[in-house]
Amino acid sequence: MKTAQAGTLESMDCLVTVTEAQSGAGVKIDITGASAARFRTAMEKKITEVLSAMKVSDIEIQVQDNGALDIVLGARVEAAVKRLGGAA
Amino acid sequence: MRRTMLYLPGNNPNMLTRGYLFGSDGLILDLEDAVAMSEKDTARILVNHFLEQGEFGNCEVTVRINGVDTEYWKDDLAAVVPFKKLNGIRAPKVDTPETVKILDEELSAIEDKNGIPVGRTQIFCLLETAKGIWNAYDIACASSRVAAIIPGGEDLTADLKTSRSKEGTELEWARRMLVFAARAAGVDPLDTVFPRVSDDDGLRQETEFIKQLGFSGKSIIHPNQISIIHEVFNPTEQEIQKALKIVNAAKEAAARGQGAVSVDGRMVDIPVVKRAEYVLQRAGLSEVK
Amino acid sequence: MAINAVGREIPDFIEGYGKTKLFQGAFARKPEGNIAGPKLRCVNSDRTDKRVSGVKEAIIASGLKSGMTVSFHHHMRNGDYVVNMVIDACAELGIKDLTLFPTALFGVHKHLIDHIKSGVITKIMGSVNGPIGQLVSEGGMDVPVVLRSHGGRPRAVMAGDVHIDVAFIAAPTADQYGNICGTQGPSACGSLGYAFTDAQYADCVVAITDNLQPFPVSPVSISQVYADYVVEVQSIGDPAGIVSGTTKVTRDPLRLLISRYASLLIEASPYFKDGISFQTGAGGIPLAVTAFMKQAMIKKGIKGSFGLGGITGYFVELLREGLVEKLMDVQSFDLDAVRSIGENPNHIEISADWYANPWNNGAAVNMLDVVILGATEVDTSFNANVNTEADGALLHGTGGHQDTAAGAKLTIIAQPLLRGRIPCVTDKVVTVTTPGEVVDAVVTEYGVTINPKRKDLIDACAAVKGLPVVSMEELAARAAKMSGPTDDIKMTDKIVGVVEWRDGTVIDVVRGLKK
Repeated sequence: MKTAQAGTLESMDCLVTVTEAQSGAGVKIDITGASAARFRTAMEKKITEVLSAMKVSDIEIQVQDNGALDIVLGARVEAAVKRLGGAA
Repeated sequence: MRRTMLYLPGNNPNMLTRGYLFGSDGLILDLEDAVAMSEKDTARILVNHFLEQGEFGNCEVTVRINGVDTEYWKDDLAAVVPFKKLNGIRAPKVDTPETVKILDEELSAIEDKNGIPVGRTQIFCLLETAKGIWNAYDIACASSRVAAIIPGGEDLTADLKTSRSKEGTELEWARRMLVFAARAAGVDPLDTVFPRVSDDDGLRQETEFIKQLGFSGKSIIHPNQISIIHEVFNPTEQEIQKALKIVNAAKEAAARGQGAVSVDGRMVDIPVVKRAEYVLQRAGLSEVK
Repeated sequence: MAINAVGREIPDFIEGYGKTKLFQGAFARKPEGNIAGPKLRCVNSDRTDKRVSGVKEAIIASGLKSGMTVSFHHHMRNGDYVVNMVIDACAELGIKDLTLFPTALFGVHKHLIDHIKSGVITKIMGSVNGPIGQLVSEGGMDVPVVLRSHGGRPRAVMAGDVHIDVAFIAAPTADQYGNICGTQGPSACGSLGYAFTDAQYADCVVAITDNLQPFPVSPVSISQVYADYVVEVQSIGDPAGIVSGTTKVTRDPLRLLISRYASLLIEASPYFKDGISFQTGAGGIPLAVTAFMKQAMIKKGIKGSFGLGGITGYFVELLREGLVEKLMDVQSFDLDAVRSIGENPNHIEISADWYANPWNNGAAVNMLDVVILGATEVDTSFNANVNTEADGALLHGTGGHQDTAAGAKLTIIAQPLLRGRIPCVTDKVVTVTTPGEVVDAVVTEYGVTINPKRKDLIDACAAVKGLPVVSMEELAARAAKMSGPTDDIKMTDKIVGVVEWRDGTVIDVVRGLKK
């Protein structure tokens, strides 16, 4: 399975790892780290928004968080998905 | 005012979030030297999101793009120019007026495509080679977009085949030349960074020196440098009082239809009034731009 | 169940704690009756040496039995060997079911986890942090931890809420008759402020030292009249963990920004004049505030009267330079402070009772003008939480937070609005440690946010150039916008911690975390 990563584990950042999934598999999100205890719902919502804007419906996403705000999380997800698409 | 323009590494969420809070006049979201080759894409996307959704307070916002000799610069421009929050781009390694023209064309194309008034995006030119400094005036005049010219530090020193000294001897002539070119062309001369971030005294000395040369401000790499530079550039209370007196006297004289006036027994003519207005402007006491 | 004055539901009775008294306001509860005391003792001239041969012998001599309460002070901080040493010995002697009553615990005390699991320690009254806090939060103890402030603890002892059976006092220097000095010896820690109450009110006092000197030692912090036994051991602590080296002012721009705003607030307040007194502690922001204040004091020719609380080298510098007249030191944080308190008569050692107890004839905190504090979070009514983390884990003691906030004329909580994604301003704090009625301002990187009851400060700050004034509503809205909506913490019904206000009423309870 193809994977790609974007982001870092620095403060207020997150490391997003995306893995290709079979058509129809849907979106699988796994979040760990600093904000997971209090912001899981908000983070899942942001990730879903970015994916639907990019028209991605089948993917596995892992987030290792170190306090990323939504604006950062969105950018990292977008970057990781773009990298996955670029890595032929 | 462009007393301080703070570089924020383009791939650093912490600084992109908080950079504007430190009170610099401007911000430079950096996609060039502060970003590793392998992270050009992620930094570009991050800066794109911040220009779309982030906050920058009252700061003038610019993005330092990668040079026109790289594969990145067009993507950089496309990712940042469409946003209202962007005031201009800072272009590295501008050696000739042609570089400005290339940027101008690309900017116009993007602006046109995005329904932005063509010409809105300003260009801040980094002159990082001997050739760039030599062409300073022509570069500053190459487009009405040019807002400022800035000498390089490390790159310029290397190009001059010398090294950076504490006294800055190697950059002295370039700085003088740049102020002349900028003032002649009607753009801002902005100084290069002071690299030793914990040397507060050294920064103060250098700032006093470049202010005396005629620079409008300085690029900076650390928030702790802001207050020191502002202290140097801000007029003292005494200067402000004197300037107020002069400007008020000139206003009254104009109202009475008189030309020259005297303040504290000294003749005040137009250049003196202009300088006083500039003092008030720097003190934030005047609407004059 | 009943609702207390900060809107928290408090059960009438908590298993392992007893009947609760509801918090009714910062200054509502008044004491009744007399001070509770220790056993009377008598030592005549036939006993001129209180030494026993080891820790176990001292424990046996003290009469310590299962089910009793043992106390310790925390001046050895993260270098402490004594707590672990004594509890190990208790375990070896088959003593169980102890109540541990330390003035604070540190990371080094995670060693006690085995003793908690095996039942040697079954109750803790005092701060729990790090791994022990995590254990408690996850329901690792049957009865709740009781959290008291530095002033609430001596109050509890004097009011008879807590009776200390044996106090074990780490003594950097002692003689064979039990005179104790904190400023000398290989494990010197300076002030012994937190140990005084324990020495005065325990039925039995054991001094444990690694620097036994001939009688009488001087200067004396805690005198021979309190000590029952003296034990000499190899070492009572690791100097590297007891005191830090030189305390330097931070260069972190975010902390400097917040500190500058806090300093501007202080300068704008009516207290910034000759005779100002302040407590700022040892953290990055408080220390930087002190540095900014120092500049402002010099610029405006102002001299302070005293610095209070935990003392650092930076405060010692202020004393030496005449910017404060005195230091009142309950805890010496670094080598400079230890040296100074040993040499300078204007650097005064004070007990926790003197420092912060609400039920004596006036604690030092009452004389404070300004205190800079931190907090995990603050709610829109300015109630502050210092005990639990955003995820609900009980990880911090109360320290002097409640006492200084209640005492000082200007209480400032200064810290970043966001730690990562987690905001320090919320609609509802997880735990209330200190009520908003005694908090005057919150300072963040976005400016100063002043309690509406302090209209005078709002007006004073409005005139200050370069000092943004942000209302609590704006600040909370900003925090909510940046962080996004929070998920509720999954808590169990089990009460794992009881947070007392300094007067012994219950201001909040901490519940267990669902795994």
